[in-house]
Amino acid sequence: MVASIGSLPPPGKDGKGLDGLLTALHTSRLSEIVGPRSAGGGSLLLTLLARATARGGLVALVDAADSLDPATAARAGLDLRALLWVRCGGRPASAWSAVDLLVRCPGFEAIALDLGAAGGSPPPSVGARLQRAAEGSGAAVIVRTPRHLLGSAATLVVAMRRVRAHWIGGDRPTRLGGLVSEARVLRSREDPRLATPERAWLIEWRA
Amino acid sequence: MTRIACLVVPGADERTRRFLLEVALAHSPSVEDGGPGIVYLDLRGLGALFGSEREIARRLLGAIGARGLTGHVGIASSRAGSRFATRSHDDITIIPPGGDARTLGPAPLALLDLDPHMAARFHRWGIRTLGELADLPARGLAERLGDEGSELQRLARGEDATPLRLWTPPPVFEESADCPWGVDTLDPLADLAASLVEILCERLVRHGFCADAFEWFCRLADRTVHEGRCAPAAPLAHPEAAVALVRSSLQAHPPRMAVEEITLRASPVRVIAAQPRFDESPRPSPRQLTTVLTRLGALADVHGVGSPRLLDTHRPDAMQMTPFTLSPSPLRREGRGMTRGSFFLAMHRMRPPRPVEVSLTAGLPAHLCAAGLTGRIVAGAGPWRISGDWWTDTTYARDEWDVELADGTLCRLARDARGWRLEAIYD
Repeated sequence: MVASIGSLPPPGKDGKGLDGLLTALHTSRLSEIVGPRSAGGGSLLLTLLARATARGGLVALVDAADSLDPATAARAGLDLRALLWVRCGGRPASAWSAVDLLVRCPGFEAIALDLGAAGGSPPPSVGARLQRAAEGSGAAVIVRTPRHLLGSAATLVVAMRRVRAHWIGGDRPTRLGGLVSEARVLRSREDPRLATPERAWLIEWRA
Repeated sequence: MTRIACLVVPGADERTRRFLLEVALAHSPSVEDGGPGIVYLDLRGLGALFGSEREIARRLLGAIGARGLTGHVGIASSRAGSRFATRSHDDITIIPPGGDARTLGPAPLALLDLDPHMAARFHRWGIRTLGELADLPARGLAERLGDEGSELQRLARGEDATPLRLWTPPPVFEESADCPWGVDTLDPLADLAASLVEILCERLVRHGFCADAFEWFCRLADRTVHEGRCAPAAPLAHPEAAVALVRSSLQAHPPRMAVEEITLRASPVRVIAAQPRFDESPRPSPRQLTTVLTRLGALADVHGVGSPRLLDTHRPDAMQMTPFTLSPSPLRREGRGMTRGSFFLAMHRMRPPRPVEVSLTAGLPAHLCAAGLTGRIVAGAGPWRISGDWWTDTTYARDEWDVELADGTLCRLARDARGWRLEAIYD
């Protein structure tokens, strides 16, 4: 049983309550999704990209660790033909440069940077530069990272926390059913009400 | 007086069609493509060059005969008359001026290439031949069928006032530069190619074309040819983006010795500018996208930029990178695929899968040890045996487990003859 946290809406199994968070992520020019591995951050990122392609937009994913699984991405609703996948093969420096290039090409609805488990340090003042370029291009730039990296440049920071894994099969599980994670807004420049401590979202991701 | 020749070669394919048009163009400046294996020529003024109409017909048949083709030539004062004349058993049939109406009398209505509705209407009226159509009262026909009826009747009478729809060969966009002294470094070669690209783009713009691919051919000092090809994400004719693309392609595949001649060829396509829909998402301009993709290719591995395509197999992580293109236009598909409740757990693949040490307790994974990821396994499910592609060289067979570590990390493990590997981490 998933415990209710404060005034949490029920787990976002049906998407209710989660739309506000997804909309905030989409309309903010530079956002961060922070959290450890297996906290649901990658799933949230894929959901955002999938929604953008469902609207007919083009999206770009700069994959620092070359770890995207296209099969699960397609299952999440991401139109792979509308995805520009930049595989950086474990080179975060190339990944930051790639985002810097992409954000200067108007026409992408969302540009995501997945830094993988390592994260690493961003180049100096990259946050402010990305924020300015994103405002010019109109794209939503989302950075998925284990920890908060972009400082005050990020318009929105969403922290992901793993609540529990869901196993199917009782004492001797037969398969992984999914993951329940909690999303909290740590900082929202455009809508500070989102960042109140009592506001959080429980999301149930199906495996 | 208009005189039209019709050259018909039955069973002509697309290459033959082009050949026939070129043969016709070698004899007359006014040529119409009548469909596969059918070419019309305007014969006016050709007498002084080639002689009589029969002589011109002989020359046409001789030209196609040299390529092993046989055909028929009909000459008349109208397209319909000349086409009907080719149905004769003779290779050459000439209807003298003014004789079209009489000759066309028994010809079937199908000769006019009527649309199905009109053909059905004439069929209901009992009109089967051009002669019967020509004999109908002109006023009554115009009252029932309008201008189209009058036009058809004129054609049936051999009165073809419409000029030929002239065919012109598609322009070839190719530029070459000689460098007999031999260019043996990449920068001057790329500069040379850039100047050719600029000329090509200027020509493309002048003709209203864009290029959807560029091919380059370098004649090397040893007389061999080094060639390459590059394609933008969308057809373009912007010199800057095209130069960046070709320069990057040359840098990715540099010639192995001095280049004595470089040739650049653009593949032209006609791009029709269309007003985007109001609800359509904005898209990158081909110029900017090509430039960005070129620079991205230089940043990361060039094969690491594109769109993934899933392969038709159950092999894990079976996918292929394809070039990112702006077509087909993505369509808004909200409500399909992205239904409420479709929140799926993402998986981060390890490429290549990372070898790990797994301790077993009672046959179940109990502890995992890998670089940067070590911990006690608190829950797990498996194994699932997956195998396939045994009919190919890339057969696979493994046991897979999903496990949860004490710190909450969810992993996909696999075990085969080579041992345990970390396949993916759920996120």
